[in-house]
Amino acid sequence: MMFRNVAIIGCGQTKHSSKRRDVSLPEMIEEAAWRAMEDAQVTPEEIDAIVVGNMQGFGGVAQPDQWIGDWIGAPGKPVMRIATGGTTGGSVGQGAIYAVASGMYDKVLAVAWEKHSDSKEPGATTGLLHVALANFFHAFNYGMNLKSLVATTVVGAAAGVAVYQAMFYMHRSGCRIEHFDMVAAKSRRNAAKNKYAHLQWPGCTPEDIAKTEMVAYPFRFGHICPASDGASAIVVAAEDIAKKKEDKAWVKGLASYSDEENQLMSESYGGVGILDASEQMGCRVSAMKAYRMAGITDPKREIDVAEIYQPFPSQELIFAERLGLFDEGKAWVALEEGEMEIDGRMPTDPSGGVLATNAIGSSALQRILEAALQVMGKAEEHQVPKEVRNAVAHGWGGVTNYTTVTVLGDSPR
Amino acid sequence: MLHLEREGIVRVKGLPFVARFKWSTGFLMERFIKSLAEKKLLGAKCPSCGYTYVPPRSRCGKCLTKLGEKNLVELSGRGVLVGYTTAYVGLDGEGNFVDLEKPRVIGAIKLEGADSTIFMPIGEIDPEGVREGMEVEPKWREATRGELADIEYFKPSR
Amino acid sequence: MRRVAIVGYAQTQHQFDMQKTREDMVFEVVKEALSHAGITRGEVDTVVTASTDFLDGRTISSVFLSMAVGAYLKDESKTEEDGTSAAWYAFMRILSGVHDVALVEAHTQGSTFNPHQVSFYTLDPLFDRQIGVLNDVSAAAIQARMYMSSYGVSEEEIAMVSVKNLSNAAKNPFAQRRMPDLTVEEVLGSKLYYHPIRELMMSPISDGACALVLASEEKAKEITDTPVWIEGVGVCQDFYLRDRNLLELDSLRKAAKDAYEMAGIRDPYAELDVFEVSEKFAHEELMIYEALGLCRRGKGKVLLERGATEKGGEIPVNPSGGALAADPVCATGLVRMVEAAKQIRGEAGEYQIPGVRRALAHGQFGMCAQKNWVFILGGEG
Repeated sequence: MMFRNVAIIGCGQTKHSSKRRDVSLPEMIEEAAWRAMEDAQVTPEEIDAIVVGNMQGFGGVAQPDQWIGDWIGAPGKPVMRIATGGTTGGSVGQGAIYAVASGMYDKVLAVAWEKHSDSKEPGATTGLLHVALANFFHAFNYGMNLKSLVATTVVGAAAGVAVYQAMFYMHRSGCRIEHFDMVAAKSRRNAAKNKYAHLQWPGCTPEDIAKTEMVAYPFRFGHICPASDGASAIVVAAEDIAKKKEDKAWVKGLASYSDEENQLMSESYGGVGILDASEQMGCRVSAMKAYRMAGITDPKREIDVAEIYQPFPSQELIFAERLGLFDEGKAWVALEEGEMEIDGRMPTDPSGGVLATNAIGSSALQRILEAALQVMGKAEEHQVPKEVRNAVAHGWGGVTNYTTVTVLGDSPR
Repeated sequence: MLHLEREGIVRVKGLPFVARFKWSTGFLMERFIKSLAEKKLLGAKCPSCGYTYVPPRSRCGKCLTKLGEKNLVELSGRGVLVGYTTAYVGLDGEGNFVDLEKPRVIGAIKLEGADSTIFMPIGEIDPEGVREGMEVEPKWREATRGELADIEYFKPSR
Repeated sequence: MRRVAIVGYAQTQHQFDMQKTREDMVFEVVKEALSHAGITRGEVDTVVTASTDFLDGRTISSVFLSMAVGAYLKDESKTEEDGTSAAWYAFMRILSGVHDVALVEAHTQGSTFNPHQVSFYTLDPLFDRQIGVLNDVSAAAIQARMYMSSYGVSEEEIAMVSVKNLSNAAKNPFAQRRMPDLTVEEVLGSKLYYHPIRELMMSPISDGACALVLASEEKAKEITDTPVWIEGVGVCQDFYLRDRNLLELDSLRKAAKDAYEMAGIRDPYAELDVFEVSEKFAHEELMIYEALGLCRRGKGKVLLERGATEKGGEIPVNPSGGALAADPVCATGLVRMVEAAKQIRGEAGEYQIPGVRRALAHGQFGMCAQKNWVFILGGEG
């Protein structure tokens, strides 16, 4: 398996909000990158390579690394640009991990971002028209009406994919809309404890969420993630360097398995076979591989906290199961029992997750970053009140086909 | 699904990302743009390595020092043409090069007191008469408004 | 560090407006690369592709290609920019020990959306895009003029690069521009875009794809008797256009230095047998000679005049025709790797250079080659 131990030794992120009009794109990215390097106590000169990513259509700049590179010390260094949709941040983080694990580089900076406010189009669907169109066909196939469908295109993310995925899950598991209210309220409450999060609502209750308007069945307005401006960054280092640092989160396992494109008729009319959009085999296989690398045989017992990519509340439940943290179809039962709360048995998204903060390119890197903070015990107010030996970070994207799973721990493998 | 014997494939048309954008400029760039109203060109001089950026920016790319308002310097606006090309075509925004009615000169300019090179249209000159090392200055539009369009082009200094 | 080899590859016949969907093109090239390696999809551990959203004209360019590229239930990722970036990442994924066999794929159908228009979108939107005079061709033209006047290089000498590469391409069945009898006069008579850059001095707009199979030493030896080893890799990004020295390809110089160091090369002129480089503009090839350390600054034209970089010369550069002969943007650098590997394995047919043991492949991306990737490849022995 992995020849060389690798750890995250520094984390940095910006405060997320709907509009960071005070800074330009490179200035926003710089904030996160420099915070991560300061946290890791490394100078930009010491960084051997940089991995960056965002969704280029959202910012309206092609290959923005060429423009923003000068703000983060890129000139003279190897720079890899990765973009995989919603998983971009996870793919960027994993790119940095592989770069160090390869032995080619000892200290690698990973930076991911999105600045939605640079776009004049509503929400985050800018530039997603192509994907949205595919979703249209899909939703029509499932009998969704045009009004609901239009509503899904103006909210914070790829709702078109998520509504029918949620329906599959509800049908299969017996989960109800009230559970989505509970997940959303938990996210808002957790986010209130995270000073970098976007949608913060101390004391938010499921009843508060239930009062919000139904946007596209089964999602209410309160179920939907925002479109945020923000960036996040981590510094990844080789074992000998990490060992000398006080705070570090060891990388124990990682995987990124692609599922099928979730469309009945893919571009080339290939005819895709997935019928249940909540099946998410890619996530299941990724989790299995990452746990195997990490030496984890019973994730329910051995994982202490999870950061799940959940632009919609249904996804926190679906992926918690796919990550093997709960029995099949039973995550909502655990939710009812309070197991997923910050102080619960299996806290999920103590940071508030993507439901609270969604700077798309950065969102999946934030999951890795937040999991690292939990392992290091540096999550401040949203630190889970227990010993964190292993944490899992999840990313999700594409047309439901991309997944990244990264397992971090308090000791090397 | 029909499988037909055919030549070629069907294509549909459209621009990628027909989205409109309104990029935040950040504080120093905002100062640069607003100062154009007074026909002033601002740069940012790095206090550590002395490199001067135009337009100004918040981080020195050379030595990575943080730059701020106090590092803004006013430039004379005069500059030297360090390189140029004569354009016979232009992009039409939809992905086509279209022929220009008459050739246009594009200059690479080093402004006095600055280290960055800016790439600007050069006017009031015959393409044949352009020479590297030539001194140039901005041609301001009559009523400047604090916009990038306040500089119409650069022209040879008289 | 474990050794990694190229064990199979394929490329499309590059052409403008290929009458194939992007998906079919990618599927076919991947299938061919696997069959060239003599393995099945089941033996692939990881898939890394390279493409970009603006060039493919869609958000998340790779998203509908998971199936076509064979990434279904595979550990995969997508870098952007040049395919050599994907090869670099796949190489590191194997070096890490997590994976043994990697499939690398890169493509662009330039006919979908003009890559020159896309180059405009890479500029600083706060200034250069507002001013509106730059794109990759106008920037290259300014660079070419600066280079010409600094080092006393003539338009004829730049045109000679096109003549060399495009006539080399005549023997390459995969190339788009195949011009066996091209003359300097014809190059200088082709359409003028931005002085001195003319149509035949810039790379054509191409549709094409390329795929590579990489394997760890152990697997490589199982798969083939003729592995092509990756002996060195160097990657480097330069400053943004405004703050760069346009007379130099500094980032390529640094990337080459790193690659030479990793491969233990001290004298590239003597130790490397063939070079496949991504010269998007004719003058760039001369600058590439200099940055690769094949001659001193400003002396690129001397190598060309002496015929050193001709097919029969001491250091043949682009016997395949290079990027001037076909430029399926994201695939271009990966095609260079394939061409270099073919030379090492003696599979280059009519443009085979005899006795190639070690070769250099170069990929670039961005304005005036802002980013560069250099691979040193070597055969057995």
